[in-house]
Amino acid sequence: MLLEMILNGKSVSVEIEPGDLLVQVLRERLGLIGTKIACGEGECGACTVLVDGVAVTSCIYPAMKAHGRRVETIEGVAQDHELHTIQQAFVDHAASQCGYCTPGFIMSAKALLDVNPQPTRDEIVAGISGNLCRCTGYYQIVDAIEDAARRMGEGR
Amino acid sequence: MWQNYLFPATVQEALEMLAAHGGQARIIAGGTDLVLQSQRGQCAATVMVDITRIPGLDAIEERDGYITIGCQVTHARIAASPLIRQKAEVLALACGSVGGPQTRNVGTLVGNVVNALPAADGAVALFALEAEVEVADADGRRWLPIAEMYAGVGECTIDPCVQMVAAVRFRPLSDGWASAYQRLANRKALALPILNTAVVVGLEEGVCSEVRIAVGPVAPTPFRAREAEAALAGQPPTPEAVVRAARLAAEAANPRDSVLRGSRDYRKAMVEVLVRRALTEAVTKAMP
Amino acid sequence: MQLKAVGQGVQRVDIRQKVRGTRKYPQDFNMEGQLYAKVVWSAHPHAVVKRIDTSAAEAVPGVVRVITYRDVPVNEYGINVHDQPVLIAEGDKVRWVGDRIAIVVAETERIAAHARDLVQVEYELLPVVDDPRQAMKPGAPLVHEDRESNILKHIVIRRGDVEQAFAQADVIVEGYYTTHHVEHAYLQPDAALGFVDDEGRIAVISSCQWPADDLHQIAHMLDLPEDQLREIVPTVGGAFGGREDMYIQHLAALCAFVLRRPVKIVFDREEVTQRTGKRHPFYMRHRTGATRDGRIVAAQVELISDAGAYASTSIPVLGNAASFALGPYKIPHARVDAYTVYTNNAVTMAMRGFGATQPPFGYESQMDKLAEALGMDPVELRLQNLLDVGDIAVTGNVMTAETGAKETLRQAALAAGWREEDGHWIKPDLGTPSAPYKRRGIGVAIAYKNVGYSLGYDDKTTAKVELSLAESGEIARVLVKVAAVEVGQGVLTALAQIAADTLGVDVDKVRLALVDTTETPDAGSSSASRHVFISGNAVARAAAQAKEKWQAILRDETGEMHVEAEYTFHGRSVRPTTPFDPETGQCEPHISYSYAAQVALVEVDVETGQTEILKFWAAADAGKVINPIMYFGQQAGGVHMGVGYALTENYIQQEGRPRARRFSEYHIPTVMDMPHEFESIAVESAPDPNGPFGATGLGETPTLPTAPAITNAIHDATGVWIESLPANAERVWRALRAAHKL
Ligand code: FES
Ligand code: FES
Repeated sequence: MLLEMILNGKSVSVEIEPGDLLVQVLRERLGLIGTKIACGEGECGACTVLVDGVAVTSCIYPAMKAHGRRVETIEGVAQDHELHTIQQAFVDHAASQCGYCTPGFIMSAKALLDVNPQPTRDEIVAGISGNLCRCTGYYQIVDAIEDAARRMGEGR
Repeated sequence: MWQNYLFPATVQEALEMLAAHGGQARIIAGGTDLVLQSQRGQCAATVMVDITRIPGLDAIEERDGYITIGCQVTHARIAASPLIRQKAEVLALACGSVGGPQTRNVGTLVGNVVNALPAADGAVALFALEAEVEVADADGRRWLPIAEMYAGVGECTIDPCVQMVAAVRFRPLSDGWASAYQRLANRKALALPILNTAVVVGLEEGVCSEVRIAVGPVAPTPFRAREAEAALAGQPPTPEAVVRAARLAAEAANPRDSVLRGSRDYRKAMVEVLVRRALTEAVTKAMP
Repeated sequence: MQLKAVGQGVQRVDIRQKVRGTRKYPQDFNMEGQLYAKVVWSAHPHAVVKRIDTSAAEAVPGVVRVITYRDVPVNEYGINVHDQPVLIAEGDKVRWVGDRIAIVVAETERIAAHARDLVQVEYELLPVVDDPRQAMKPGAPLVHEDRESNILKHIVIRRGDVEQAFAQADVIVEGYYTTHHVEHAYLQPDAALGFVDDEGRIAVISSCQWPADDLHQIAHMLDLPEDQLREIVPTVGGAFGGREDMYIQHLAALCAFVLRRPVKIVFDREEVTQRTGKRHPFYMRHRTGATRDGRIVAAQVELISDAGAYASTSIPVLGNAASFALGPYKIPHARVDAYTVYTNNAVTMAMRGFGATQPPFGYESQMDKLAEALGMDPVELRLQNLLDVGDIAVTGNVMTAETGAKETLRQAALAAGWREEDGHWIKPDLGTPSAPYKRRGIGVAIAYKNVGYSLGYDDKTTAKVELSLAESGEIARVLVKVAAVEVGQGVLTALAQIAADTLGVDVDKVRLALVDTTETPDAGSSSASRHVFISGNAVARAAAQAKEKWQAILRDETGEMHVEAEYTFHGRSVRPTTPFDPETGQCEPHISYSYAAQVALVEVDVETGQTEILKFWAAADAGKVINPIMYFGQQAGGVHMGVGYALTENYIQQEGRPRARRFSEYHIPTVMDMPHEFESIAVESAPDPNGPFGATGLGETPTLPTAPAITNAIHDATGVWIESLPANAERVWRALRAAHKL
């Protein structure tokens, strides 16, 4: 089947199998390896991408659901060499250790800040409660998102 | 995994697609459960009929004395809906406790109900709200009490290869009514409940005019604790009366031993605790 | 030496790529003409394989080959002992569900997965032993039929006269403590890509912790010299000990060896969960005696650990556990009996703490029981008995400069609100619980652990430092070659900081070479909290030599543009360790140590048994802090793993069959389950003069005291002792119910 979507701002059409999941299309057919698979059952958030601005776990998301939609992946977050504010805050707070969960957290953070630019700490915690990290203990991740929100607020 | 993936434009077209594939096709909404069922060989259908793009099925609205929720409405939208939070709080709380944000963004309440699991958060709340579901099939559309959708654990009387559920509806909780939701799980997000309970209480002049208590998973389907409800109805909701009702609910509950989620003993004891807390909370909220 | 990088929150060298999602893990690599492999796993925990029929699988279009035991030149491997068959032969036994029958290689992953289910295996079932306490009894079914008993190892420590000392104790407390199987749950599922490289070597791109040891085992398996093999380690998505053994890389190497084509294997989460190793469950029976004024006079413990089906590192894990069994305390009369026993459960192996993680749950519960029996404050009792520099440990060794136990505990307790008045410690006021059915409690625990390999093992790292000089003679770039695997812990950054300050250059001039066994010399495993100490020493010394050479070039004006130096650092050069004396256990067990003391403030729902951690204080002394931001990350990450260990995680098996099969059934803590407030305290009171800049190692210690700090807090809140982990809601509820019936 033909899947057409706006992927990271560009229209893309790709021939897929009806049973393909979005993560498979991204990783295998389009070579976007920044989206990770850790559990394959919607239980860890490593594969989080945004569809029409909403965070979804792409490992259980039928690819055809993205047909005609706007899809954002980690590859679309930075502008060329310039890191996105969220990414820069992750760097500054060492909010990534092994890094395998990191793209998923950044996408969840982006989904949150796009609609709620000044979240409380509890809202940040709720916003990333579908993402698991085994390395960091989460505090530096929450700090990074809080800091990113502050920096983006100042930039406005 | 699948041979085809279809987007019908109307309910009628969806039903025709199902009919055309004679049992090989089934309805898919968010797919958060269905994808895994397909991968694990628990769903044989090879053609997916995706109903999330049919116009007119995405509303949360109050009309003709009912709140109606279309079959495309996700858990996240319900949890955030001011209407639901105000007039059926128990449902907002239940939907807000499902999985994690990403799952709530995609999974639908109706899908959760059609899956027919006895501890599905949304379904347990709908039992307490005495909801009805709107079934659409070749015979047209009709409303059924939600309890009639359940045949057993994971078994729905609605056949998703032939029929679809277009909406759920229930009476909004007006003044003097309140609801509460209690849930126990091994961790605070991304966990199925060890036990959950939804209660709805109506108070009139200091006396319970109506009490509804739903509990899961203590039976093959979400469970209404009728004896407990009857014991409290018509009574002033004193702490003693609430405790008595909670005990009756626990006595009637028949949970299974689960290696992962807790023993029968523990769950039975927790029915009493959770129902007592939920009743106390709902009664307090219902007081003028 | 002026410190410009060491001690600073230098940016992690790998993090920009990680936040962009461009850093590649083994599953992100693909090669032209690559095939895909799927493993046929044992369907039973204990059975004889009567017949393997691969014909139906081979008949599937797209299947290239079904590899069986017949294809393996030397069909055995294992990290310490080569006791595991690579693929089970007909007539041989499977000993757990992680044993492999065959590997199906196909043109696509889907075909391989489909064909795997068509491999027919006939089994004859054998009785399963799933409890080491039963398995060690005479007459129990043998997991390894050529052995006389399932007991793999028994270690003893004897010091003083225990019977006599107990007879004189004023107070004796006892306890029987059990811990559970725990999954590493690193986020990146194991993946490997095997291929034949340009030079004809069998190569594998893989996630691992110790490339040189992998190569060693693969060489044995393929009956090839090591110079015809190669392992490349790009980025590893967490390890925590779980990748110290081979689970996938040798299989990819075997496929490439047999087929001479690139073959990729990626495990899914269910395979990672059910078919790879776990942390050992321990059964610990304790007895501790003290005088009325709170001096420990005698302690004894019997430890039984479940080794699972194969030896893995169960013996050195047991060695560590025995040496730490009674905690960092002065105990004049001590007896330890430690056993590790084969069963048909999951293979158990290294996991953050390596045998030092289970004992604190026993010895720190004992300390709180003792404090209660004596009517003493738990901090005060501990401070009275903790080891200090110059004290003698139960293994007879004298504690050296890096003994930071007392100061670490003091700082944790003070941060958490304890007061010291007239020589007595007084616990803080805990505030009011948030509901009438909740109780608050505070708990403290301390633990310690070795840094580097122990008990006579030669721990070493070789590092190469290469300097490129500018026209001016200044150092333009530094390349460090060392096969220290970055598993997320930050080793690359720490080593870059050490190299930079040794050379006196900016840290951003230092680059670490990609780990590739053909390029980077052996640095041992990313384990035992050892890289900063052992590999840090190697890098510092290689850098110091490079610096001397560079200075000679400047002095002699030779005009050379390139400098190289190589150094092999041996732990024994600073402190030789020795094995246990077989009769008394007396020895010099460890190269160096680090300490962690933690305090948990909890609220327990006494009706449901649920525990909520309101605030947590984590103090650690690992000598000089190399990077404070990464230090915080290790503390928080270590506590995360400790919280899961204490409350939510449990790898349940029944009769050798996994019941917690995937992430939805194995619950690592989410962000919501973490302590609401968290404070990390870097103590730095006891630098090790042998460590680089005085550092020891922090990778594991922060996980060790977390569980007993929490269970001691639960006791403080409710009065019940939790003697089995995890202390999940139902377990606490049961303990409360049992106590209230009394
Ligand atoms: S990989 Fe998709 S949620 Fe875990
Ligand atoms: S950084 Fe390793 S899982 Fe999050």
